[in-house]
Amino acid sequence: MPLFFIQTLAILQKDLKTEWRTRERLSAMAFFAFLVVIIFNFIYEPGSPIIKTVAPGIFWIATAFAGLLGLSRSYAIETQNDCLMGLRLTPADPGAIFLGKMLGNTLTMLILQALILPILVIFLNLEIAQALPRLILPILLGTLGLAAIGTLFSAMSLNTRLREAFLPLLTLPIFIPALLAAIESFRAVLEGSEITDWLVLSGAFVTLYIAACLLLFEYVLED
Amino acid sequence: MPKKPYIPPFVFGILALICLSIAPYLVFVYAGIEKEMGLAQKIFYYHVPSAFSMFLGSFLCFVFSILYLWKRDKNCDLWAACSAEVSLLFGTLVLITGAIWAKPIWGAWWVWDAQLTLTLILWLILAAYHMLRTYIEDAVQSARFRAVLGIIGFLNVPFIHYATKLWRTHHPEVVRGEEISLPPDMKMAFFFCVITFFALFFALLFKRVSLAKVRDELESLKAEI
Repeated sequence: MPLFFIQTLAILQKDLKTEWRTRERLSAMAFFAFLVVIIFNFIYEPGSPIIKTVAPGIFWIATAFAGLLGLSRSYAIETQNDCLMGLRLTPADPGAIFLGKMLGNTLTMLILQALILPILVIFLNLEIAQALPRLILPILLGTLGLAAIGTLFSAMSLNTRLREAFLPLLTLPIFIPALLAAIESFRAVLEGSEITDWLVLSGAFVTLYIAACLLLFEYVLED
Repeated sequence: MPKKPYIPPFVFGILALICLSIAPYLVFVYAGIEKEMGLAQKIFYYHVPSAFSMFLGSFLCFVFSILYLWKRDKNCDLWAACSAEVSLLFGTLVLITGAIWAKPIWGAWWVWDAQLTLTLILWLILAAYHMLRTYIEDAVQSARFRAVLGIIGFLNVPFIHYATKLWRTHHPEVVRGEEISLPPDMKMAFFFCVITFFALFFALLFKRVSLAKVRDELESLKAEI
């Protein structure tokens, strides 16, 4: 196996291990996502048919907001005991550090989504059992897109005066096209219509941004 | 130490001034009144060139951001930041003129039309870029992060374009590809306005850059004391 992937896996393993030992980040994210789903319910009349059309939006808003909460911690934890300096000093390629962190964030968000999807089904009375297989790909692509730009900006926002609070301001404007694709393809799957165009869009988004972030991460990590 | 005057802002400023005084004549007197939209269509001569200037600004910001990361020349960062700022200004103009035009024609100040949405999202990215600059203290780090955001932000344009187009489109089909379906008098006025706005864009950009350079110099002089 090439060295790059060994380094990536090492970073990924480290991140997952520290997360698993406390489960601090995931539980905060899951609770926040749960709150978002509940709060969105109060905007509409209970049982109104609108809820079904906005459900994909609620799902993605919950994912994006809770995801940003988790992403912002992704580097904040590295500031303890100068871990960030340690990361910089490792012989690992900056791209590998990025990819490892990004995959760790993606996995965390996928677990989060697995937790909130049932909540959405229960509270909004959605029927998604049949649509589920077709939902997997758009959700995966949307999550990868968010993780890619979020991981890059999370390292950047840490150095601003607002610290982690700056992350959404950077990430959300860039994430809009992928978010649009994610929400629209979710809705299209529920309605049983074609989603190829949206998949192409989010696929291209993920590919280009992962490539760009791999190249640019070096400049973000530099001291 | 006396410094020689910086020529480009002056030249473009004069050019912009001349063009801006001729443009209203071409727009209101020379070009005919559009049959369906009437006088409201006149705003198109300012709206579209502003949009072009905005995209030019974001593109310049993208190019200078790459150059900065490559060469680490402080001037590239300065140019990138100033292009983004002027671009933000023109973006604001696009959004305002778009809203003024949309009210009589579409009956609402804001319609989620694909191209307006694209402008709005690009405007948001430029605003985030501007904020990033003010929220970081370390100058070198700030320049590096800005360059990264300048690149990431501009790469987003094709995605926003494609996404908003898939999402919805209401815009009048005036400028599409090479085909421009305008009568000759309107075409003439339109092209003149494009030149006018580009002249204005460069006048503001050069002025902004020279101001930033002076400010930089002042900072370093202060540091010396």
